Amino acid sequence: MKRHKYIYIFLVISIISALLYVFLWMLTTRYDLFPSDPERRAQMARAIRNITQRKTIQLIAMVVAAVLIASTSLVFQTLTHNRILTPSLIGFDSIFITVQTLIIFLFTSKSLFYTNIYINFFISAGLMIFISMLMYALILRKNRNNLIFLLLVGMILSTLSRSLANFLQTIMNPDEFQSIVIRTEVSVSNMNTGIIIIAIPILIIILGLIVKEIKALDVMTLGESQATGLGVSYQQKMNLHLIYIAVAMSVATAMIGPISFLGLIAVNASRELLKTYRHRELLILSSLIAITFLVLGQTIIVETGYLTTVTVWMSLVGGLYMIYLILKENKA
Amino acid sequence: MIEIKNISQSYGDFHVLKHINLTIQENKITALIGANGAGKSTLLGVLSRLLVPHEGEVFLDGVDIATMKSKDVAKKLAILKQTNQLHIRITIKELVSFGRFPHSKGRLKDEDYQKIEEAIRYMDLSDIEHKYLDQLSGGQRQRAYIAMILAQDTKYIFLDEPLNNLDMRYAVEMMTILQRMVKELHKTIIVVMHDINFAAAFSDYIIAMKDGEIIEQGEIDYMMDKEKLDHIFDHDFCIAGVNGRKVCIYYNQQTEIVQGENK
Repeated sequence: MKRHKYIYIFLVISIISALLYVFLWMLTTRYDLFPSDPERRAQMARAIRNITQRKTIQLIAMVVAAVLIASTSLVFQTLTHNRILTPSLIGFDSIFITVQTLIIFLFTSKSLFYTNIYINFFISAGLMIFISMLMYALILRKNRNNLIFLLLVGMILSTLSRSLANFLQTIMNPDEFQSIVIRTEVSVSNMNTGIIIIAIPILIIILGLIVKEIKALDVMTLGESQATGLGVSYQQKMNLHLIYIAVAMSVATAMIGPISFLGLIAVNASRELLKTYRHRELLILSSLIAITFLVLGQTIIVETGYLTTVTVWMSLVGGLYMIYLILKENKA
Repeated sequence: MIEIKNISQSYGDFHVLKHINLTIQENKITALIGANGAGKSTLLGVLSRLLVPHEGEVFLDGVDIATMKSKDVAKKLAILKQTNQLHIRITIKELVSFGRFPHSKGRLKDEDYQKIEEAIRYMDLSDIEHKYLDQLSGGQRQRAYIAMILAQDTKYIFLDEPLNNLDMRYAVEMMTILQRMVKELHKTIIVVMHDINFAAAFSDYIIAMKDGEIIEQGEIDYMMDKEKLDHIFDHDFCIAGVNGRKVCIYYNQQTEIVQGENK
């Protein structure tokens, strides 16, 4: 099929970028990787193995996060019937930053809440899930179904919490501030890979649940009344998907940091390329594009000696793409 | 058979439907008429379980609709709402395929493809089945939606103002198709409509609503009565006979009053 060619193209590109991420350093390193001295050679082999292993785990983390973000963004756009929204508008990024800031502000960077990566992960992911659920319960129950209202409240809350975090950061001592910056920047290199063990099962469960409903999602693009008429329990499905979204976004954000634009770019690019409403194909392609973007971006950043972060280049590309989208929607 | 028992619905303090009891006759076109805000669309919404009534029950072939699974209801009853704003690019054939969802759960089998093709042929859309919806005229798009409803293969079909945005030719064509569907496919169709003349010309039975209540119902001849219509619409009608059919004329406005108000 002609339409599937993009899926294959991006499959190849994402595999290439994955390979680049794990192995490119071997070509650019200034060390001799295979020295003649047997003792040094064994040492080098061990180093190579270590680095490759670490990079592979980082790669898996990026893939997990990318797929989580892409798939939930896709579902979110279906629920809101809007192509320029992402679930991060509910405020996951800001909540994450605020939680990290509060932890360091209240307990210092030497506390277990910050240093123990598992505790930190559970606190930040747990709080994000809790706050989004609370928002769902309070807002959606009262104004049935009003997702746009939910987003407005989310935006206000996230601005508020970001201001709070900013305020706390300015009155902190610089060392503590530095710890926050390290944690709240999308950084694959700093992340503790142990979290993957938790994240992979979550990814599999959520992806499984979404794939199970993938045909119903197609029907839901027709709108609530039409979908209900066709026998899809819209309300119930919407609530379930919102829960998946909250869990997935929280895990992804807690794992690699706030990364707003990734979902937007990936889902929209795949819609643009495939020109279909079918979620099965969109899900595959947007996941692949998200992986490509994240992994390739990280590869470039690592190879350029960390001149900038993935967030910066993601925001640059994502922002430009967003402007293009808005202008285009405006015309149509 | 569809039976409605003591249905009430309200938005806040505003009672849209007040204790409605009704039986819908099978194998007929029933027109639901009434002024704006009389509660027609709400009643249709409750009938088709899009809205949950605050009070009362709807029985679909003797079973309470609230106790049925949504997908089982969808095999018996299809509804088309008046606003069909789609933001996805989709061809007629793809849209019609959605109609099979309650039966196939998205995995189309031979039988489903056959039904889809039949529905498209029935609505005379075969030549343009690969066209996208946004390339179609209003009449063609409406027919595409009806084809989807047909593919759903239900006994009952509810249509909320299907004649909206259709010019006279397409409106007549649409109503003729509905008549054919009743005669050939033995459907039971309920249509919400505004134009009383269309209701009189093409439906078998008229139910009139006013302020959330059913105030009159009956066959065409019985309903096409100046006094009744005046009461239903709070308007001054004039009933005329054309080709042995009753037609109502509603443009004879009290011009003096309007002018008087303007001063």
